[in-house]
Amino acid sequence: MRRLRFGWLVVALLALGLVRTAPGAPVQVVKLAFLGPLTGPNAPQGLGARNAFDLALRQANASGRFPYRIEGVVLDDASDPATGRAAALRAVSDPAVVAATGHWNSPVAFATIEVFHENRTPIVIWGAIHPDITRRGYAEVTRVAPTAEQETAVGARWVVREMRLRRWAVVHDTTTYGNFTRDAFVGTARGLGAEILSTDGINVGDRDFGALLTRLRGLNPDGVFFGGVVTEGALFKAQMARARLEAAFFSISGIFDDRFIEVATPQAAEGTLAIKPGVPLERIATGRRFIEDYRAAGYREPYGAYGPYAYDATNILLEALRQVGPDRARLVDAIRNIRYRGLLGEVTFDREGQTRLVAVTRYVVQDGKWTVWEDSEYAKGKRKVR
Amino acid sequence: MALEQLLNALLLGGMYSLVAVGFTLFFGVLDLVNFAHGEMATLAVFVALALFGVVVGGTAWGAVLLAVLVVAGAGVLVERLALRRLRAAPPLLMLLATVGVSIVLREGVRLLYPAGSNPQVFPPLFPEGALSVGALRVPYDTLAILGVAWLVIAACDRFIRGTRTGAAIRAVAQDREAALFMGVDLDRTVAVTFLLGSALGAVAGLLNGAFYGIVRYDMGLVMAIKGFSAAVVGGLGSFYGALVGSLVLAAVETASTAYLPGGSQLRDVLSFLVVIGFLVLRPTGLLGERSVEKV
Repeated sequence: MRRLRFGWLVVALLALGLVRTAPGAPVQVVKLAFLGPLTGPNAPQGLGARNAFDLALRQANASGRFPYRIEGVVLDDASDPATGRAAALRAVSDPAVVAATGHWNSPVAFATIEVFHENRTPIVIWGAIHPDITRRGYAEVTRVAPTAEQETAVGARWVVREMRLRRWAVVHDTTTYGNFTRDAFVGTARGLGAEILSTDGINVGDRDFGALLTRLRGLNPDGVFFGGVVTEGALFKAQMARARLEAAFFSISGIFDDRFIEVATPQAAEGTLAIKPGVPLERIATGRRFIEDYRAAGYREPYGAYGPYAYDATNILLEALRQVGPDRARLVDAIRNIRYRGLLGEVTFDREGQTRLVAVTRYVVQDGKWTVWEDSEYAKGKRKVR
Repeated sequence: MALEQLLNALLLGGMYSLVAVGFTLFFGVLDLVNFAHGEMATLAVFVALALFGVVVGGTAWGAVLLAVLVVAGAGVLVERLALRRLRAAPPLLMLLATVGVSIVLREGVRLLYPAGSNPQVFPPLFPEGALSVGALRVPYDTLAILGVAWLVIAACDRFIRGTRTGAAIRAVAQDREAALFMGVDLDRTVAVTFLLGSALGAVAGLLNGAFYGIVRYDMGLVMAIKGFSAAVVGGLGSFYGALVGSLVLAAVETASTAYLPGGSQLRDVLSFLVVIGFLVLRPTGLLGERSVEKV
């Protein structure tokens, strides 16, 4: 057998390969990943959330609570599943990244949760609201934002139980969103003893609801639940007045936009009921503090509708990190079982990893403006919705 | 209630007929399916919106009339620039050219009008309130639309059957070469056809916008599909066929929404099934007499 020339070199290299950082050596940098749409049509949402993520990390590093520095790895998913997946792979392949928070678009989230699950890395979703994201049985996936289903269920309790409107006609668009909200409303409302008189689908882009409204008037509902978005909702509400269908009109965040009032006209939109996830931050102490800190940090983009959720998601990661240290597997469990006091209230996750906290605000259109229900004349009994 | 649904169907039919008549005119006179016809409706609406900003006060109707004139002129221009040279070419090419024009106009509106991709609010042009006929309540704007649609179609029919230019149009429709032999000025006749057709499209768009209160840069596309289908059902080339076809489609849609469970989602499916049925069983439509030509 020939002797290897540089056998000693080979042995030395092998030995080097077996040497690891000595156990107990201090970790200097721990990384958390942020994934979201930083470019593309949803960039405003993604950038606001990214800023909130950044704010939380800055506060954590400044607080001195951690014996190491926490660095953020910001990755763009461009609202595209393939890009998101690539970003997720980059995140998990960096051993310093211990957890992630991500996504505004549900299709992107569906793509990346596979990656996070395969790599046993936790991800807290701050924005994508498709209910099935938390239904794959992945322990790594949790979500702080309420789904459209949860939102609708809370709304149904308001209009059916509290406002005592019992007979409902359901109109929904035929997208996934419309179908989910229809099922959520019908399920909750029936459970509360309401009667669902009819369910009708409309197509996005439809403008004429005359025949449908005439038929619904014949059923004499107390209220119409609308599962859809701004344009169709506004046209429907405006045509309700024409068809003399006197019923309450209720929907969720899909119609919540000033354009709804503009398109339906303020007179026709009067009395429209809606709920929206989140609470105006100026009304709560934690919210006001967040607003002030965000402003002081000098970000260019506003935090938007999902900045607060991204902030809470990041802080949940940080709290779990503080509890169990930078270990992916342990973080998965710590996050699932956490009890965290966030901006909008205490967050805990159910069996599927979905937040139990559904903080919503109720609105009514009064004199051409979206008015918080509790502040409105309707709540005080001075005006009636039907 | 059934009476009211009937009224709904009449109104919808009236809306479709304004577009269908334009299609039938182009096909009858020029053997052309003008895919840009729907865009005349869109153009009229956006021109009117632009003019509303400029023309103030109670002259909203002035802006509307001006929009019709502008679009009628635009139609003539389109023919002159894009289609005239293709007269001697196979009919397919002119058809394709109209598809191209439709894309240009639609995207032009979307890109050039501020926030063109978004739906725009269109002011109501008709008085509010309604007429009570026994148990039935007929809103004034419904009456206005039905009235205008009927008037416009009757006026077109009068024009085509009672004037010299109308006679020229009918001559070209019957036999182009014979008409040329008889001294008919083809260029002028075609120009008048486009003027008339585009004006009809403009009126259709403006009424549609005023009634629903909202317009989009792609509304012409949807109106064109419905209008063209109605014209086919009624018989391309027949004025009253366009009207009948529109009423048939509107009736199918209204009936399915009003009486079929889950019908509201299916109404477009059912109405287009009817169209397909006609194409298969009676391609010349209800009132059409022309022979079937393959494009």
